[in-house]
Amino acid sequence: MLADFNFRIIFEYLPLFLTGLRSTFLISIVSIILALVTGTIACAGRISSIKLLKYPAIAYIEIIRSTPLLVQIYFLYFGLPTLGIRVPEIQTGIIALMLNSGAYIAEIIRAGITSVDDGQIEAGVSSGLNYFQRMRFIILPQALGVTVPPLLGQSIVLVKDSALLSLISVMELTRCGQTMTSERFMPTEAFLTVAFFYMCIYFCLKSLADWSQKKLIFREAY
Amino acid sequence: MMAFYFSRIVEIFPFFLKGLWMTTQIAFISLFTCTILGFIFGILRSGKNIILKRLVGVYVAFVRGTPFVVQVFIVFFILPEWGIQLKAFQAALLAMAIMGSAFICEIVAGGISAISKGQWEAGTASGLTLIQQLRLVVIPQAMKVILPPLVGQYVLLIKDTSVVSVIGVMELTRVGWVTVMRIPEGLMVFSLVGALYFVISYPLILLSNYLERRMAV
Amino acid sequence: MIEFKNVNKWFGKLHVLNDINLDIDAGEVLVICGPSGSGKSTLIRCINRLETIQEGEIVVDGVPVHDKKTNLTKLRADIGFVFQQFHLYPHMTVLQNVMLAPVNVKKMSTAAAEKISREKLTQVGLTDKAGAHPAQLSGGQQQRVAIARGLAMSPKIMLFDEPTSALDPEMIGEVLDVMVNLVSEGMTMCVVTHEMGFARKVADRVLFMDFGKIIETGKPTDFFDNPRTDRAADFISKILTH
Repeated sequence: MLADFNFRIIFEYLPLFLTGLRSTFLISIVSIILALVTGTIACAGRISSIKLLKYPAIAYIEIIRSTPLLVQIYFLYFGLPTLGIRVPEIQTGIIALMLNSGAYIAEIIRAGITSVDDGQIEAGVSSGLNYFQRMRFIILPQALGVTVPPLLGQSIVLVKDSALLSLISVMELTRCGQTMTSERFMPTEAFLTVAFFYMCIYFCLKSLADWSQKKLIFREAY
Repeated sequence: MMAFYFSRIVEIFPFFLKGLWMTTQIAFISLFTCTILGFIFGILRSGKNIILKRLVGVYVAFVRGTPFVVQVFIVFFILPEWGIQLKAFQAALLAMAIMGSAFICEIVAGGISAISKGQWEAGTASGLTLIQQLRLVVIPQAMKVILPPLVGQYVLLIKDTSVVSVIGVMELTRVGWVTVMRIPEGLMVFSLVGALYFVISYPLILLSNYLERRMAV
Repeated sequence: MIEFKNVNKWFGKLHVLNDINLDIDAGEVLVICGPSGSGKSTLIRCINRLETIQEGEIVVDGVPVHDKKTNLTKLRADIGFVFQQFHLYPHMTVLQNVMLAPVNVKKMSTAAAEKISREKLTQVGLTDKAGAHPAQLSGGQQQRVAIARGLAMSPKIMLFDEPTSALDPEMIGEVLDVMVNLVSEGMTMCVVTHEMGFARKVADRVLFMDFGKIIETGKPTDFFDNPRTDRAADFISKILTH
């Protein structure tokens, strides 16, 4: 079965795959940056003691986490036009990825912040540091250590999630596989090539995540 | 107009319930098979047999490294090329099993590795066989580490069943997609779909949060 | 210097501070002891408002601590606090730990803050550890850094919450030495501790607490040799046989 694997057709379609790869790459980078911003804001709301900020943040995070990304994508894709908002598919897709990953990132950051020992905060309080100084000098630098590896994990998830944008006809890597399948009907070649490219991205991000895991964690020593 | 569409949606609501039932079926069967296979793979992954260990490792890396939708396409389009004919429903279950088992395998292997070597040695010293050591000593302790992420993974698996809509399985998301073609009220239709997913996955999220807090003590 | 007036505090139903009245003079060294859960840590944590109180008033150097209008930053800058578990910042070097508050709370220049920080490190005998990270130090060394961190703010008062309880026995001495040294400089100190030797040597007054109440106060010699209450006698015999 793999004996008649057609490499020639893959080379023929290689330029298409490379544009798809580029597009997946760009979509992922833009989405992860936007998701970091969204997640930071949502997390700030989530840990805030002001109810008007806290409860909307909780609602956002919980709704996103308990519904499938694909439903969120369709919600925006079919829903925005009903509101009279017409944006290109790729932007709809990026908004969906941003909102989805933003909720998970908010929880990752929150876990990082709560992982900092209460005594650290008390030590800061005792020396008269204010809330923002404690955040900046004591909590965030330590939270960063435990936050970076799961954030990289979330980027891996986001890259894979971007494959679902193929279902609203965004021309990214997976969509290229679909195109090749419908034009030549060679699904084996098409989707194994797609899988191969995703694996490459995965291994790069994975080694980065493993490395950061070793490097970045501070521990309080007793 | 809104009111008109709303009454149309109420009219076809049974159709949504059918989709929900299909989603529940796929989810339930998948959780069951994935848990069993995941535990088997997880034990092999933390075992001593290098070849099996590596094989499971390659499989896990493949699943974790590629999007689930691509895996669904591979199962649905490629297996027939190799002479294995599957209905959409069967292909969906197979894809779910392949994907879910790999993730659960990692969770189980992580749990087992959290148990100190001394526990195995104590088991050996009291004359337990390898299987007995696993079943009586290691797994019961590892469950503490395994359970919270396992329930979290269940939530992800339930949500991932939405992806099998791409091969035409008439589950909840597909029902929404078909409906929106006839009733162009995307916000309403997919809010309803989302709400139905929320109903099944949110209790599990709460359970997972609860377990995490309890096991942390 | 520090004044408690009819202070009451509850954790839920638990009455952790029960009608506390207490005056601590400038330059006085007060040792607070008592069984665990007696409220002694809570007592000193109220002084810089790490804990709130429900009734009464605490006045530090003329400033009402639990008044809403009180400038807490200013108040806390004047009070050094040393924790049982040190709570050094693990991501900073020893010098950075000590300099953090002088630069950011007192707004000192980096050079001035570094100068005073190095002085304080010398005072606790850790001149050569300025560049190390907390994880590279022993428990005793970490606690001495924590003391230097408090001193770098030139506080009027130093509070110690069981400073030696988390240490291995062989390291207790080095920390107590630093504290004895401070006493000779005339620092106002409140120390929660069971180190009887320390109390006998330097304390002006010992305060014994149980169930949130001050049971007995007195000069260390009187308290340890002739406790007036049964509970204090019982407690002293327990820490002696310990």
